[in-house]
Amino acid sequence: MTIHIPRIFTVAALVLAAAFTQPVAAEQDPAGKVQTTYPGISPDAYEKFGGKYGMEQWVKALFKYIMLDNRINYIFAQHGKIERQIALNQQLEAMMLGAPVQYQGASMSAAHGEMGITLTQFNAVVEDAYLACDDTRTPYHVCNQLIAALAPFKRAIVTK
Amino acid sequence: MQSYKGSYKQLSASLLLVAAAMLSMPSAHAGLYNDGKVLATGGVSMIDGAGGGGITPWATITGYETRDGINGDVHYTYASLPNYSLNSLGFAIGFYDRVELSYSNDVLPTGSTFDTVGLLASTLAATGASDDTGIEPFNTTIKMDVYGVKVRVLGEAIYDSDNLIPQISVGAFYKKNHNSALLRTLKANKTKDYELYASFTKIFFPLDLLVNVTARYTAANQTGLTGFGGPSKTKREIRPEVSLAYLLAKNTAIGAEWAKHGRNTDGEGVDVGGTVDTASVASLAGALGGVPLAGTLLGTTNSTLTQRESDWYDVFFAYLPNKNISLVFAYAMLGNITLTPNQSGYYFSVQASF
Repeated sequence: MTIHIPRIFTVAALVLAAAFTQPVAAEQDPAGKVQTTYPGISPDAYEKFGGKYGMEQWVKALFKYIMLDNRINYIFAQHGKIERQIALNQQLEAMMLGAPVQYQGASMSAAHGEMGITLTQFNAVVEDAYLACDDTRTPYHVCNQLIAALAPFKRAIVTK
Repeated sequence: MQSYKGSYKQLSASLLLVAAAMLSMPSAHAGLYNDGKVLATGGVSMIDGAGGGGITPWATITGYETRDGINGDVHYTYASLPNYSLNSLGFAIGFYDRVELSYSNDVLPTGSTFDTVGLLASTLAATGASDDTGIEPFNTTIKMDVYGVKVRVLGEAIYDSDNLIPQISVGAFYKKNHNSALLRTLKANKTKDYELYASFTKIFFPLDLLVNVTARYTAANQTGLTGFGGPSKTKREIRPEVSLAYLLAKNTAIGAEWAKHGRNTDGEGVDVGGTVDTASVASLAGALGGVPLAGTLLGTTNSTLTQRESDWYDVFFAYLPNKNISLVFAYAMLGNITLTPNQSGYYFSVQASF
């Protein structure tokens, strides 16, 4: 076995080197169109979310859970009125699911870039999004269409 | 047998140490402990101890930590097969969702056919024709330590839904089987060896689907439980493995796995010592005429006394009620194991995360 150990170390060293030279992925910002995902999200996702009214309820439920979530609620509380965040999120989510709605807020990187959001905090919002789907009786499969559409924003939002 | 008890003690001590370390982290090192992964995205514990599915390591790093900290888990897996039971007890630690260290103590108590071979061997030993085969007339147990390391190289399994680049990790296992006499009997080339693998994992949220493909560079026979390599086939080879998990809910998945296995000892008999081999054992029937039981056995079981190995398959149902508990119920189809065919049975695994 002793003759093999150095080979393992060589492989490990190569791997470690590769691990810390990851290419930096391009930032994602909404450009007024449905997110391109692989595979694409279902065309009826917005309808399945309950359309405009349903999405409004879903975003309200999301913010209910966010503001109850002690891991992240203070961040949201520090950054502007919750009502405005709810309104902007309705626009964003509707647009990402292909509804003819224009998001009027700042780009994801402009809105979050200076906040030092961690992946742990981002994941907390994802968990709250699933709770909001439970609250609004949005099926898991439908919920995942929105998760797929919003997932690439992680690269613009998580900066720490 | 004493040394096995020793290794169990070591294992228990290590488990306690890891548990204590994990528990003390939130208070003692507030910055290190982390459980920020989204539920179920850490995978479960495979039988070699690594994070993954049941029989295949995934590119996910074990535990619920994100790149912001450390997390870990302990697991116990039990599979009930017609002639064996497979037990895996171990722990794994994930560092910054980047590096994973794991240990598993795999134990395979054998049943009826091994008892028969053991009886044959001890009968031969009584006539002076056999050495130590490592197979007892009853309760023959195979034990193996598996040490694992995995490093996430690139990619993002979960959030990069806008590209098809999978999360890619590479890893290694060092496996040490303690039953050298038995492995010699089974004609394995080695009792300890390493395996290297590369895993590619991607979640397709629009389809509620997780796909993992792994290429493992190994010479293992039955994951190493029956050794590494055979009398003529001794080299490592690349074997593919695939896991598909359909996400039914945020805490529930069903799926299937396939792991290609080698054929290193296919067609080989079991070397019950000296010049005696089960593949040519029928010729002994005459010589053993004075031993009625063995004589009958040898005359009738010749065709079944050659080894075979099959690819492993399983179908599973995984339920992860929260970030501290993962339960897997599966049906494992392991095919031929040494002399015994149709080794399919129920598989249960529990993982506790800190």
